[in-house]
This record gives sequence, C-alpha cells and structure tokens, in this order.
Amino acid sequence: MSFAAKHLSAARSNALAGSSHVCAPRRAPVNSRTSRGDQQVVCESLKDLRDRIGSIKNTKKITDAMKLVAAAKVRRAQTAVQNGRPFSENLVKVMYGVNQRLRVEDVDIPLTEARPVKSVLLVCCTGDRGLCGGFNNAVIKATEDRKAELEGMGIRCKVLTVGKKGSTYFGKRVGDDDLVAAMDMGQAPTTKEAQAVADQVFAEFVSEEVDKVELIFTKFVSLISSKPILQSLLPLSPAGEVCDVEGNCLDANEDELFRLTTVDGKMAVERDEVITETAEFDASLLFEQDPVQILDALLPLYLNSQVLRSLQESLASELAARMQAMNNASDNAKELGKKVSGKYQRQRQAKITTELIELTAGAGSV
Amino acid sequence: MTLQLCVMAPDQVVWDGPIEQAILPTTTGQMGVLQGHTPLVTALDIGVMMARTTTGWEAVVLMGGFGLVKDDRITLLVNEAELGSSVEPEQATTDFEEAKTTLADATTRKERVEANLAFKRARARYQAVTQA
Repeated sequence: MSFAAKHLSAARSNALAGSSHVCAPRRAPVNSRTSRGDQQVVCESLKDLRDRIGSIKNTKKITDAMKLVAAAKVRRAQTAVQNGRPFSENLVKVMYGVNQRLRVEDVDIPLTEARPVKSVLLVCCTGDRGLCGGFNNAVIKATEDRKAELEGMGIRCKVLTVGKKGSTYFGKRVGDDDLVAAMDMGQAPTTKEAQAVADQVFAEFVSEEVDKVELIFTKFVSLISSKPILQSLLPLSPAGEVCDVEGNCLDANEDELFRLTTVDGKMAVERDEVITETAEFDASLLFEQDPVQILDALLPLYLNSQVLRSLQESLASELAARMQAMNNASDNAKELGKKVSGKYQRQRQAKITTELIELTAGAGSV
Repeated sequence: MTLQLCVMAPDQVVWDGPIEQAILPTTTGQMGVLQGHTPLVTALDIGVMMARTTTGWEAVVLMGGFGLVKDDRITLLVNEAELGSSVEPEQATTDFEEAKTTLADATTRKERVEANLAFKRARARYQAVTQA
C-alpha cells in the first residue's frame, strides 16, 4: 500500500503540475471556481497533453486498486467484530446478573473508584496511514479540542496515542511526561494490542497518575459516515452497565458509556437480542467467590473488550474513509481524464485542419 | 459422561467441544468441575486450566476472566487464551525469567502494577509447558 501511495503522490504531482510552469505567465487568473483543467490548457503542446492523459490514467489505476484493497479490508474488519460478538454478549449477560445482586451493596474496587479529577488521560485512536480523507484530522482535532477544554479548567492532560498519524502529531506537541505511550494501530487489532492499551490505561489509573480516562475514536456508523466520539473509559460505573443493558442510560455530556453493539447500524437488533438473553440468567446461580471479587475479575475484561471494540471500530472507519476517498479520487481522475483527452482531440484536430489548409493553400498558389 | 467446554476470548472462540473434566484456576484456588456440577459463577485468575478429554489432559493458558458453569456447560470468558500445545517451551522459559527480574527491579507504583501483570502471564505460560 505504501508503495502505491508513493506512486500515487508522484503521479498526482505529475498529472496536476503538468507543464504549468511553462505556461505560468499565460495562465488564467486563479479563481477558486475554475477547475484545475481549465487553468493549464492554454499553451500545452500535444505531447504534454498525451503525458498528462497517461499519468491521469495511471493515477486512476492506483486509486482504483487502493479502493478495492480498502473494501476487502473493511469486510475483514467487520468479520473481526462479528467474531467478538459471542464474547461480548455473554459478558453482558453475566455482568447483568452480577449487578443485580450488587445493586444494594456498596462496591469498592479499583476500577470503579471515582476520585476528584486532577488529571485526565486521553486515548486517541487514529490510523497508521493517510490518504483517507479527513479521518485522521477529525480525530486529532477532537482530541485537541477536548485537551484545550480540560486544560482550560485547570486539569492536567496526558495523551496515549494509537496509530502512527496521531503519534506523529502528538509526539511533537506533547511533552515526554505527558505522552504516556505511542502505539501502532496495525492491520487488524487483536486482543494483544487491546491488552497493551488496556494495561497502560489500567496502570495509569490504578497508580493514581490519572483520575479519569477518556477514549476518543471514530465510531463506525456506515460505510459513508463515521464520526469521532468521546467515551469515558474509567472509572467504570457499576451502575452504568445495568442502565445500558436496559437501554436507557442517559449520560450528561453525550458520552456513550457501555455501548453494546458495534457496526453497520444494527444497534437496535443487537440490543433486543441482549435483553432476551439476560432474562435467561439464572438467579439460583451460585457465586464461588464474593460477588465483589467476581466483579473485580469482570471489569478488567470489560475494559479490554471495550478497548478492542474501539480499535476495531476505528480501523473499520479508517478503511471506509479510505475507500470513500479513493472512490472520489477515481471519479475525479476519470473526469479530469475525460476533459484533458477532449482537449487533446480538439487540439489534434485543429493541427490537422491547419495543416490541410496550408497544404490546399500551397497547392492553389502553384 | 461429558461436559461442554467453551473458552472465549474477545476476538475468537479458543475451545468449543466436549471434555470429561476440567480444573479451573479460580482466584480462590483451583477448582475441579465434573458432570452434574451445581450452577456457579467464578472469577478466574491468570493461570492454567487443565481439561481432560478422551485422549488425555490438555493445558490452556487463561489470562484472567471468569467462568460460568451451568447445565453441564462450562463457559469461560477470558482476556486471552492460548492452547498449551501452541506455547513454545524455550520462549516461555526465557520470558518467565525476564519477567521475574523485571518485577524484582520495579520501583515506582506504576512499574510494579505493570510488572506484576506481566509476571503472572509469563508464569502461566511457563506452567502450561512444564505441567503438560
């Protein structure tokens, strides 16, 4: 892919620069309304035009290929999410049961401990590569906005980045003390990556380096739409889960704690399924350990699966964004190619006509 | 005389099949499960689960989670699981030694939390190859 990307940028600069430096003085005044094609035609020779047509065609081939690659990967990302479903469904089922028993008790375990917030860890999920429209920028911007907002309130912000793009951006702007870790997103996030992130988050939170952890990632809405969202990850609220299972969790600042479903807009269906399953949870079930201890084992698991799902969703959005961007690029290349070849044909015809006129005029004068 | 065992990690199902008996690494010690066990929920520690199939004992490394026993069905939800047969003995041994020294060297609170987790995982993989 990086090979293709390199070629793409080279081809792109060829195609768009063309012979414009030769024509520069005669170029039409730059107007945002005029398309690129119109600006450059004035003095292009036939050979220049032929070259441009060639390079536009090549660019289109590359963007088409990248689109197909992204499409195939989106499918793989969706399968990965689907494979994780039995796990999360069972997890919610048991969590629901445990919670019912814990409702009355005052739970005190490290992951649910709400402290006065003095510092916050922002986990920013971007992609590893560019050429995917505004995807990376949207996440980075959302993170920056949140950071500014928190710092405005006098809260210290630490950042953990997942994905090369975010790492490069924050690596330059955040001090070493505040950059907890920079990780790569990889081709397909697995439990290992999620575990690595969750371990960092867990260690930061439990050691009281930070008092709150927020996750910023791109939610996969559909193949053509996705949006960066902010979700608070820690402290987990044991009450929050019950709330969500019943589907009426209302959080003050639109932050979607404990979502149950993942991709392709199947939210309602999924939720219904979960509800029927939770109803089956046997109340006569014996608790081998103290319910608090079981919850203690359950919540890190929940944390991990949350992180994994966010990574998967972020990757799916990235691929979808790339697919879309490449689709647009192919369309543009097609249009541009059509325009330029039209010009080429006209110019060629004009040349032939001139030559014919010259010939007939010459023949007439003999 | 069989139980159904299902071991699930967040991204895949590691084991789904019949077994004769299982020994689970719960947080309060090892627990054996045979057919007809009373329904229960238990928290699982980072450790090794032993499962007896018709052909013999099999080790599965579990990275913490919880288990549900009901109607002769054992459902284990774990952070991560690995079949003992797929763990490389030399790698596991060196990792275990490394984790041990890292834990001994850890000074700050954050380092200790991290090192302790890493140590427990390395120990579980090490145990899986030594027990099997």
